[in-house]
Amino acid sequence: MIGLRDITVRFGDKLVLDRFSLDIPAQGLTALSGPSGCGKTTLLRVMAGLAAPGGGAVSGIDPGRTAFLFQEDRLLPWRTATQHIADVLPRPRRGEAARWLAFAELEGEGGAYPAALSGGMARRLALARCAALGGELLLLDEPFAGVDSERTARILERLRGLGVPIVLATHQPQVLCACDRMIALEGPPLTRV
Amino acid sequence: MKKLLNTAAPLAFWLLVWALCAWRVGRALLLPGPLAVGKRLLELAGTGDFWLSVGATLGRVFLGLGWGALAGTALAFATHFFPWADRLISPAIRVVRATPVVSFILLVYLWVARGAIPWVISGLMVLPVVWGALCAGLDNMDEKLLELARAYRFSRLKTLRLVCLPALRPQFAAGLLTAFGLAWKSGVAAEVLCPPARAIGSRIQQAKLGLETADLFAWTLAIVALSLALEGLLRRGLGKGERA
Repeated sequence: MIGLRDITVRFGDKLVLDRFSLDIPAQGLTALSGPSGCGKTTLLRVMAGLAAPGGGAVSGIDPGRTAFLFQEDRLLPWRTATQHIADVLPRPRRGEAARWLAFAELEGEGGAYPAALSGGMARRLALARCAALGGELLLLDEPFAGVDSERTARILERLRGLGVPIVLATHQPQVLCACDRMIALEGPPLTRV
Repeated sequence: MKKLLNTAAPLAFWLLVWALCAWRVGRALLLPGPLAVGKRLLELAGTGDFWLSVGATLGRVFLGLGWGALAGTALAFATHFFPWADRLISPAIRVVRATPVVSFILLVYLWVARGAIPWVISGLMVLPVVWGALCAGLDNMDEKLLELARAYRFSRLKTLRLVCLPALRPQFAAGLLTAFGLAWKSGVAAEVLCPPARAIGSRIQQAKLGLETADLFAWTLAIVALSLALEGLLRRGLGKGERA
């Protein structure tokens, strides 16, 4: 079980999380939903160890063993799709990068640089890179933004097949329906579920 | 054809202006015409001394460019990552940047051997330019990509190789191109003021002392032609690694 206890995060004068507590089962797909700016991204960043809370504690997560998909693609303009995958693999084996590209339905795009990819393709590459990094927990922030619904469904099933607990933030009803559980958030500041 | 015309037409125009000015002045000692200068340049280019002087000057300029770029790069990283280095080194580099090249040439003349002055001076002119370009690049480094590198557990070396160096490449290339022009001009200026045994600057100095104006023009033309050609090669070399 992933536990968040009395988490408080403040950006300047703005209180984003105010003594927020939540328990998330460490299995299957868990969706975080809520209006824009309610604190979903901040919550995921706290869970990934990328944002230090001003107060409270996180348990059940080793930040060194999580993979985080940022809300922006954050691709390196000078690396090809294959290189993006190979860069995060600890010991890349022959064909492994190609398998992860196929995971995100990017076959044939291995030699493409980010500038040559559409918005949806870039998002899928970022998702494939995150999945390839792997770990004990995947934290995905808007993983299917700009991805068509049929691909979204297929890639979601592949994500489920990884057998790793996944917590994702999304606005897409299709993704919410496909998850094992949904946690509706209200904020800001985020105080309760 | 159109490209050739676009290049040749302005060149022909300025050669004509030069020829008219030389004709109006009427004294080759003050202003030789383009034909006389071209003829002299061809004569010089047929001698071994010309090419040895060009080679020696090029060697000094590239030596200066090399050590200046290396030192500028190392100091940019040092001043960016270590606040104490920034406080200590940055003001000194700004002083170097603001000091007239002639002051440096005369000072360095007192401290180092005559043959070493041009490449020491070239390097001193290159260092602040490369340092400034890289500092700007490091200051404007995309924090989101650096956060990605941390989140994706890249080692420091991997972050440097995959994120920092490629991101700095455009600034480094622009700085190096600017620095090359400075290295070339300051190196030849140093050769003129402190002439080594064999150098373009020494030949210019000799031409000046002997009132051989056609020689002076011919050597200057050779410098301009070499500078443009090498800058073009450098631009092409630096651009080749960049992805379209």
